[in-house]
Amino acid sequence: MSKYLDLSIDEIHQLYQEKKLTPTMLLDEVYARIDENMDLNCFITLCKEEAYQTAKELEQEEVDGPFWGIPIAIKDNIITKDIRTTCASKILENFIPIYDATVIEKIKSSKMIIVGKTNMDEFAMGSTSETSYFGAPKNPWNKAYITGGSSGGSASSVAARMVPLSLGSDTGGSIRQPASYTGLVGMKPTYGRVSRYGLVAFASSLDQIGPMTRNVYENALLLSVISGRDDRDLTSSSKKVEDYTKLIGSDIHDLKIGIPSYLVSDIVSQEVKDVFENVVTLLKKNGNTVELVDIDYLKQAVPLYQIIAMGEASSNLARFDGVRYGYRTKQEGSVDDLYELTRSEGFGDEVKRRIMVGSSLLSSSKAKLYYNKALSIRDDMEASFLKAFETYDLLIAPTTTTASYPLGQNQEDPLKSFMDDVLVIPANMAGLPALNLPAGLNQDHLPIGIQIIGAPFEEAKIYQLASYLEKELALDLEGGKCSD
Amino acid sequence: MTKYEATIGIEVHVEVRTKSKFFSSSENSYGKSANSKTTVVDLGYPGTLPTVNHEVINQGIRAAHLLHCDLSRKMHFDRKNYFYPDNPKNYQITQNRTPIGRGGFIEIETENGSKKIEIEEIHLEEDTCKSAHKGRVSLLDFNRAGVPLIEIVTKPCMHTKEEAVLYLEKLRETLFYGDISDCKIEEGSMRCDANVSIALSGSQTLGTKCEIKNIGSIRNVGLAIEKEVLRQEKLLEEGKTLLEETRRFDDKLNDTVLMRVKETGNDYRYFPEPDIPYIVLDDEQIEEALSSIPMTPNEIRKIYLDRGIQKINVEKLIANRVLATYLNTFIETELDFVIASNLLLGDISSYLNKNFMELKDTHLTDEKFLDLVSKIKSGELSSKNVKDILEDVLEKDMTIEEIMKKKNIQNITDTSFVQELIQKVLDANPESVKDYALGKDRAIKYLMGQVMKEAKGSINPKLANEMLLEILKKQN
Repeated sequence: MSKYLDLSIDEIHQLYQEKKLTPTMLLDEVYARIDENMDLNCFITLCKEEAYQTAKELEQEEVDGPFWGIPIAIKDNIITKDIRTTCASKILENFIPIYDATVIEKIKSSKMIIVGKTNMDEFAMGSTSETSYFGAPKNPWNKAYITGGSSGGSASSVAARMVPLSLGSDTGGSIRQPASYTGLVGMKPTYGRVSRYGLVAFASSLDQIGPMTRNVYENALLLSVISGRDDRDLTSSSKKVEDYTKLIGSDIHDLKIGIPSYLVSDIVSQEVKDVFENVVTLLKKNGNTVELVDIDYLKQAVPLYQIIAMGEASSNLARFDGVRYGYRTKQEGSVDDLYELTRSEGFGDEVKRRIMVGSSLLSSSKAKLYYNKALSIRDDMEASFLKAFETYDLLIAPTTTTASYPLGQNQEDPLKSFMDDVLVIPANMAGLPALNLPAGLNQDHLPIGIQIIGAPFEEAKIYQLASYLEKELALDLEGGKCSD
Repeated sequence: MTKYEATIGIEVHVEVRTKSKFFSSSENSYGKSANSKTTVVDLGYPGTLPTVNHEVINQGIRAAHLLHCDLSRKMHFDRKNYFYPDNPKNYQITQNRTPIGRGGFIEIETENGSKKIEIEEIHLEEDTCKSAHKGRVSLLDFNRAGVPLIEIVTKPCMHTKEEAVLYLEKLRETLFYGDISDCKIEEGSMRCDANVSIALSGSQTLGTKCEIKNIGSIRNVGLAIEKEVLRQEKLLEEGKTLLEETRRFDDKLNDTVLMRVKETGNDYRYFPEPDIPYIVLDDEQIEEALSSIPMTPNEIRKIYLDRGIQKINVEKLIANRVLATYLNTFIETELDFVIASNLLLGDISSYLNKNFMELKDTHLTDEKFLDLVSKIKSGELSSKNVKDILEDVLEKDMTIEEIMKKKNIQNITDTSFVQELIQKVLDANPESVKDYALGKDRAIKYLMGQVMKEAKGSINPKLANEMLLEILKKQN
């Protein structure tokens, strides 16, 4: 079998234009790779029929934009019309939506082909994708290891080169952390850059959809497609969408780069520190200033995040009650029984735990003490970040404290999984754009990433630095590629 | 002085009149087939987000103004979390911490003079869906889900059912005339809850309050309060302790009935709605909203009284907004409001009622109405004439002149014709003319009667009377 899937999307585009390749041919390859690697458990739902149908329709028209006929995988908490959307939960196991999320409309109008819905932590609550009702996806670099989460399936499917692109969502690192564990470029855009309409809400004030790709250029290209003001999402920004590839390839020198000191403290393992130090050295050698900077409240970021995210989640997930859609208990009883049984039977443990904690945190006696206070400290943390950006063009930090680890290792300790996200959560808290860039491999040949954090709406600048480092580091990231 | 004094606070929800719902693009309408006016947003579908209909905000600005509240310049929405089948998201979007208006009042006229009923706050929120229960099945209609509401909460500052009723009547009138709401209690676009407690007269502390929910009419609010006060007095007299209860008013029993005893610590876990950014009102938006406030009933009252309409008719007009609004379109004209109001409340109203019609369904144009009133004023048309021609006026596309010609109504302002007629009567009744000269008042009444009889009622009596006196004076 040919290996068109290993080509860049620009190369695929050229073959399409030269009529040497058709979307149907490419889909054959996609589904062959998926079929041969079912054990990775990347997908909850495949939409083969719809995908081939779209391919046939595209073949009736002229090739247009760069994404014409490019296959993409979508995280299963993004609503897709007529395609089952489960959030990896039993409560939505058979839920077939009647509308498309705004990003899906954009994906469709730029002529991409959705091949399936990817596995994830249930309602995006988790850091390893192990809370999925459908079982955890596996890391293609080592199938006994976690992909990270919550966008584990979106990460795994691209890392294994089943698809060139995927969409994930990032509430507290859920794009960047799995991207780091699987050697991908993953961007969490500025809060408000991408419409949340049709993203099943976990924590409304933190959630963002973002692209997960094999390289920086394709990431920037995809972000340009999905960004923009959406009148259906009042928190989306009307700031003009840029061509995020515009600075890619341009020279880097005299940049002032800050490193939030807490994010390189003892919480980070030596193997990650080594990879990070290598990047710092590289940057310094090329005439950039790199220095430590103190950002307020980073140490408190995880508990702050837990309060805000769980509080909002407890309210956002209240709608799953068995009345209008989704799973409903088979047992008979009163309305209160309907709620209690449906939710007890429909939600998994981690989701229940977070709903309970969140409800408790919002209860009147505690709301002032916790939620309101967390919001105000979050504002202070954001202000501290913004102040740092008066001095620094960009901030960098490791993405994760360690490389990927064996499945099952953290399942007994719910708090440990939050601590995995200690480095990625601050960007969500401050609403900042942040990207994971693969920066090295550890001794076990597992990828390790670094984060580049920008000021609000400075995605183009992040991509500029990322593409520079990508070129300089020249890593071989095919290690996750699946057999075919 | 009675032993106990009642304290009453009232919460009213009104549905706001807008084209679309508060947080979605669905039509805001009443009486459409079930679930025909819903979108995924109203159904609380996963992934959906609220948008804000700014017309609702403008209505809130107007309501705050009409109720003399301080307007919140910066506000946000909050989520009120509770599980109920009529609550699609299992949270309601409302305003908890930053209500759009605070600290207003409504002035009522009681037997003891005017009193300001203090309004604690008014806030904006979304309505729930409507549920119906049939045997073991419950049905939900989401047409109402997301319809905008304004909740108006008074301080516990009323002490009699009369005050409560007057407050509600005045509130309804104000919001109805402000085009804020239909305020139709029977259709649920105005809903009243009353909080009632009693305490020993002169006591500084309030008693245990009971809330009477969703009372079906303003009259019933009065009845419910009366019965509730009696119930509470009886319990206290028996030495029992009152519980904080939610009750309803049963029409047939003519009494309040227990729904549930309030659980302590009912916790709605309010927090700021993260899907809707803060709303900041600028001068321009406030000005724009206020510029389209219609006249208030009190402003209208003043104009009517100034233009000579009797107090009783003023109130009748205010109670009939369609007629009042119609009459108000003539404020800039020379129209005689006294004749016009008599006509509207009298013959025109009876015609409309008899035919189950509204003014807008008739062929009455502004020109015709002006002409009609001016011809009555000048005496060209008598009240009897008006009765004769009214059907044609309201049903036909003809001018008043054309109708008069068709009905063969003489041009009675033709004074020579009236003069001729009077002379004829005087000539036929020389005795009476003599009696008049001798100062017998009765004679003039008789002669007048003869003139009207001769004219078959088709002349203006006032004009005829004046001319008769003039001619008699000249003759003597």
